[in-house]
Amino acid sequence: MNKTFDRYAGIVFLAVGAAFAVGSGTISTSAYGSNVGANIFPMVLGIFLALMSIRLIYETFRYQQRQKRKENLDYKRFGIIFTAAVLYAFFLEDIGFVLGTFLFLMLGFQTMERGRIWVSLLISAAFSFGVYYLYVHVLEGSLPGFPAWLGLT
Amino acid sequence: MGTIDYLLNGLATAMQWHNVLFVFFGVLIGTVVGVLPGIGPMSGVALLIPITASLTAGLGPEEAATSSIILLAGVYYGAMYGGSTTSILLNTPGESSSVVTTLDGYQMAKQGRAGAALSIAAIGSFAAGLVALIGLIFLANPLSAIAIKFGPAEYFSLMVLGLLAISGLAGKSMTKALMMTALGLLLATIGIDNVSGVARFTFDLPELYQGLEFLTVAVGLFAVGEVFKTILHREGNEGEIARINGILPTKQDLKDSAAPIARGSLLGFAVGLLPGAGAILASFFSYIMEKKLSRNPSKFGKGAIEGVAAPESANNAAAGSAMIPLLTLGIPSSGTTAIMMGAFIMYNVQPGPLLFQDHPQLAWGVIASMFVGNLMLIILNMPMVKIFAKVIETPTKYLIPLIIVFSVFGVYAVQYSIFDLLLVMACGLIGYYLSRNDFPLAPLVLGLILGPMMENNMRRALTISNGDFMIFLQKPISLAFLIVGALWILVPLVLKLRGKNVLVNEEG
Repeated sequence: MNKTFDRYAGIVFLAVGAAFAVGSGTISTSAYGSNVGANIFPMVLGIFLALMSIRLIYETFRYQQRQKRKENLDYKRFGIIFTAAVLYAFFLEDIGFVLGTFLFLMLGFQTMERGRIWVSLLISAAFSFGVYYLYVHVLEGSLPGFPAWLGLT
Repeated sequence: MGTIDYLLNGLATAMQWHNVLFVFFGVLIGTVVGVLPGIGPMSGVALLIPITASLTAGLGPEEAATSSIILLAGVYYGAMYGGSTTSILLNTPGESSSVVTTLDGYQMAKQGRAGAALSIAAIGSFAAGLVALIGLIFLANPLSAIAIKFGPAEYFSLMVLGLLAISGLAGKSMTKALMMTALGLLLATIGIDNVSGVARFTFDLPELYQGLEFLTVAVGLFAVGEVFKTILHREGNEGEIARINGILPTKQDLKDSAAPIARGSLLGFAVGLLPGAGAILASFFSYIMEKKLSRNPSKFGKGAIEGVAAPESANNAAAGSAMIPLLTLGIPSSGTTAIMMGAFIMYNVQPGPLLFQDHPQLAWGVIASMFVGNLMLIILNMPMVKIFAKVIETPTKYLIPLIIVFSVFGVYAVQYSIFDLLLVMACGLIGYYLSRNDFPLAPLVLGLILGPMMENNMRRALTISNGDFMIFLQKPISLAFLIVGALWILVPLVLKLRGKNVLVNEEG
């Protein structure tokens, strides 16, 4: 167990629980045909979450910090892929599925391991276009197509 | 109509050509999901929900639901089987319930008996699947008949029991498990309240009016979270894969494994019925039992075939029997069945006692398809085991970005919303940090799915009692559920305080 993480998580969840409990105070207390409102459930659970969080924070003062092996996490690679994934999700409707997926996959493959660029190109292109064609043209689903400025639609 | 008639009708549904294809693809994808390290049954099922939705788009609502659930159930028990392949060949379990199989399975592989271990795992899984199926057939009607008599108070208490049970056994800290359960239930309250019509915790954001979609949260927490973990920890599949020579077990192997398979299947079936105690505990218990019963316990851990046969049967039986509380009571008992319940709800089908009355074609079709699926698994896996072994070698560099794309595609295909895509990424990040620090994720998803039903039943019960909470204690069945729920939490707590080791369940 990671004492520091648990302590901060306890504080965050305490705030979340308290926010739900306080927020439920603003919800109407009764509904038509019933004297039980929409506020009880979140209020009780909010208080419960806050109490459990206090217990977690208390527990962090009691147990010993486990001797952890110093782990060397790959933040650089993760940072690139995470940022690319968020941008891919955010701009999906603007740049379309095929182009967005192709760019994300190219970047993803090359970030995971450099080299063999032709294989990456081939898999990215085949996958992005294949899924789009199968889903939109064969299964008649809906995905954002090519952007208008490409003049393909 | 009697049970047999229903079952025959279900078999007719399962044998329709498109459903046979769905079962086939379900078990095939499931086996691949089980074989690939990094994707477990939970993320596999979550990722496939949107794809099944589009595959069944041309069918009527009932048929679409039936075919989709057939495919997803196939993925579930297929993954349970596939997990054993990596355990045996690579000493790395494909999913957590195959951890015990590594102990003897890999030793057998090192002795050149990988084929025998794999085929015994397949035979054991098939036998266990049949045991679970027979149990399901005989328990479905009586259990739904009892459950149909439940009022809102009993239902609420039953859901409390389900949530407490899964929190009591999930993860290393009960405090954290209870926190995750409460958080899941709280997240379920976001959106427009369907009784009073008031907006709760929406902050006037239109995206939140419908509430947080379980699919988005599940794909984010399980699939994307797992991908982030693989990148950050540079996890790969670098181990050396054992060679497979012959795939047929010898007569002696079959003789040695027959009793462990039978015992493992029965034990796994019983454990799988209990909420919270999933396939990992089933496989663990059956391994210990075999070791205790063995005349020569010292051979365990050195390549004993019983050490493969029993746990592999137990985890498949548990996966099958976990479907029973889901189908008959509408209470999922594990993370994967919680995700499957979400799929049911997506198709406007409410699992529970009325399922067998309102949707007999679906309920019995799914049950019968499990027989077809188990048969396909054994037919597929015995000759194709060498091909599945090749799947293990899929390079992580291609797999990781592809899983992210599948998550984005899957969620967008159902939700059509950029907000949900960004939520997937956020959930992935949160899921990674929470699971890395022993905050179990299955109770969160279970809370998110059970939340609306639990709240409705609570409010209905309180309306009947004029706001008196004592109604939950005055109804005997409800009281019994609450007592059992409390014991489920208190007994491990007392055992822990006394310094005993308490077994925890770390899978879904």
